[in-house]
Amino acid sequence: MADYRQMKKPNIQQIKLLLPLSLGVSSSILLHILNADIQRQLAKPYGGLGYDLHILVVDPSTILPSSTKYDQAYEAATKAFPDLKLTRLPFHSVFEYVPDMKEIIQEYTGPHFSDDESRSNQDRLAAFRAAVSTATSKADLDSVLLTRLVVGYAKNTGCEVVIWGDSDSRLAAKTLAGVAKGRGASLTWSVSDGMSPWGVRFGFPLRDLSKPELEQYKSVCEELSDIIISDEPLSDNVLTKNLSIDELMMRYVHTQGEKYRGVMANVTRTANKLESTAGSDDHLCPLCGGLVGNVKGNSGVTVANQSSDNHSSKFCYGCMRSRPEATC
Amino acid sequence: MAPTACFNCKEARAVIIRPKNRHKLCRACFLEVFETEVHETITGTKLFYPGERVAIGASGGKDSTVLAAVLKTLNERYGYGLDLCLLSIDEGIRGYRDDSLETVKRNAVQYDMPLEILGYGELYGWTMDQVVAQIGKKGNCTYCGVFRRQALDRGAAKLGIKHVVTGHNADDVAETVMMNLLRADLPRLSRGTSIVTASGASDIKRSKPLKYAYEKEIVLYAHHRQLDYFSTECIYSPEAFRGSARTLIKDLEKIRPSSILDIVKSGEDMAALVPRDVNQAGNKCGSTVAADDDIGGCGSQNGRSSGGEMAAMEKTLVENESAESRETEIKLPKGRPSNASQQKGVKKQTLGHCERCGYISSQRICKACNLLDGLNRNRPKTAIEVSVNLEDEETSSALLKQMERAQLTNG
Repeated sequence: MADYRQMKKPNIQQIKLLLPLSLGVSSSILLHILNADIQRQLAKPYGGLGYDLHILVVDPSTILPSSTKYDQAYEAATKAFPDLKLTRLPFHSVFEYVPDMKEIIQEYTGPHFSDDESRSNQDRLAAFRAAVSTATSKADLDSVLLTRLVVGYAKNTGCEVVIWGDSDSRLAAKTLAGVAKGRGASLTWSVSDGMSPWGVRFGFPLRDLSKPELEQYKSVCEELSDIIISDEPLSDNVLTKNLSIDELMMRYVHTQGEKYRGVMANVTRTANKLESTAGSDDHLCPLCGGLVGNVKGNSGVTVANQSSDNHSSKFCYGCMRSRPEATC
Repeated sequence: MAPTACFNCKEARAVIIRPKNRHKLCRACFLEVFETEVHETITGTKLFYPGERVAIGASGGKDSTVLAAVLKTLNERYGYGLDLCLLSIDEGIRGYRDDSLETVKRNAVQYDMPLEILGYGELYGWTMDQVVAQIGKKGNCTYCGVFRRQALDRGAAKLGIKHVVTGHNADDVAETVMMNLLRADLPRLSRGTSIVTASGASDIKRSKPLKYAYEKEIVLYAHHRQLDYFSTECIYSPEAFRGSARTLIKDLEKIRPSSILDIVKSGEDMAALVPRDVNQAGNKCGSTVAADDDIGGCGSQNGRSSGGEMAAMEKTLVENESAESRETEIKLPKGRPSNASQQKGVKKQTLGHCERCGYISSQRICKACNLLDGLNRNRPKTAIEVSVNLEDEETSSALLKQMERAQLTNG
């Protein structure tokens, strides 16, 4: 949190922050903390607000069965934080906020799939997702699209920084999953504070708090109880094969983190030590923003080894793996 | 169901589902695809130069046997012009090494390559059996790894060879990436992923031509070419950090077969993103760190026995935890770069030679000699105890009894 305080101090002009709120434990708590901070600032007679906070709630009903629980939680959030600006967008509005989505999808999916613009955005997104076969690829693309939507909205509203509510546990899982999906080069911004490929900074103020600690916070913070939609408990009765890599890593961090918090905390800290070498001449993936090809100085031939599916080298290694016709 | 035709030649009947991408291939195509991929790795990374003399670190296990077979095949097919030989280290583990060395000896004949065997006993005065008798089963892999690294280098030096290739496969590299992510060891992550390890500790180049080959495909290749290899795990198989990473990777492979390769790719990219000062900070320890690279050097054997059992996993992580707390202490200066750079100025280390054995080391005494010191200090009445092993004792007591009996009859 120290970073974030520094961030607002030197700026005379208000900095615009965007907080994507999932209504889960972590982001709700971050919102609660920021709200308290705002109230404190407002109570001071002369100090203006150090920052301007925008909140975006992405309605997952496009991709998940809709539930009334979600509406209730959103309702409760707007009531609990009357001074804050909450915006609610459906997931499929990614087509509105990322204007070149049609071309990206067309190029990404290849000739076997066509994006029918005459249909509603909701149907277009559903059709695209249906073309992706495995759970891992689906989850991977969902998170890519979600990031794109959040960034698109941030740029649209002039927000310079997106502050994500990810806990330490969540970041550890994201790191491990990112590595396992061939997205190691993106770790410098996807789990670390810094500049994202789209010119919007990413911040992770809850990076030092683990999920259990946040649960504890929640248990002493009654006003949040109506807002937070708790995670479904992990069922043991699932075949590993049917999980997505993201889920597998969440489980791994969850089960291992119970006993070995230190080791799990290590994962994110290690990833944070990586230094971005991004240059202006880098070729970036139009879908996820990751680097296409190898990081400078990496002479490995993993990329060359998959030359057989050079359908399009426009996309990065990780996105190519999740492509609809990919053989895995 | 009608037999499926080979994905590659569309003619022969497919008998193999490639673990890497689930393509269905016939035997001939599989062998060819496998060899071609190794060839592409070698040419893509410019691993060898014509006329180079290369020693293959051979253990008799599947990885090094396949490596030897593939290199011999490719050397002839593509005219690399390499002068290949086998280099084996005898750790002195009875029941494990004796048999696998026999395999290596057969391989030397089969592939028509010269073979050099170097024993821990003659190099260090300690066989692994004796080390384990002294320090127990925990942590003995450190000794084995440190000793082996030097032994391979020394063996190569003895043969006048500057390049040693080892049988590390993609699974090993992926494990190293995950493992070092878990224990926050960026320098090692960085070195573990590169195909060539030009270590500061010696002028001998190390490389892993099978870096992109799946362990499962290596087994299939060995099987379909009916290679003669030895498949027993090291009997001192440790409960190492690697075991936990291995379980995770096996799960990942089930979900998405390409993920082993994907981790290797991530690892390579991350290695290029490791800040320079962190990398150097690691290299400072010279031979120590370089030698430690090989802790997993008995490679694929490590942790295999523990498979996916939760109990083994927990045990592993308990070890991790203790390793973790030790690790943190060393790590602290790295967290504060300003400090680290100051330190670097003060403690700049240059490569020299170990005062005892002359091996290249940044320390006054090299890691192996340090370990030996510890061993020798605790060895009670060195010379006598060691030469008397169990059998000798039995015979001598039998002798004593006989003598007593003789005396009795005399009396």
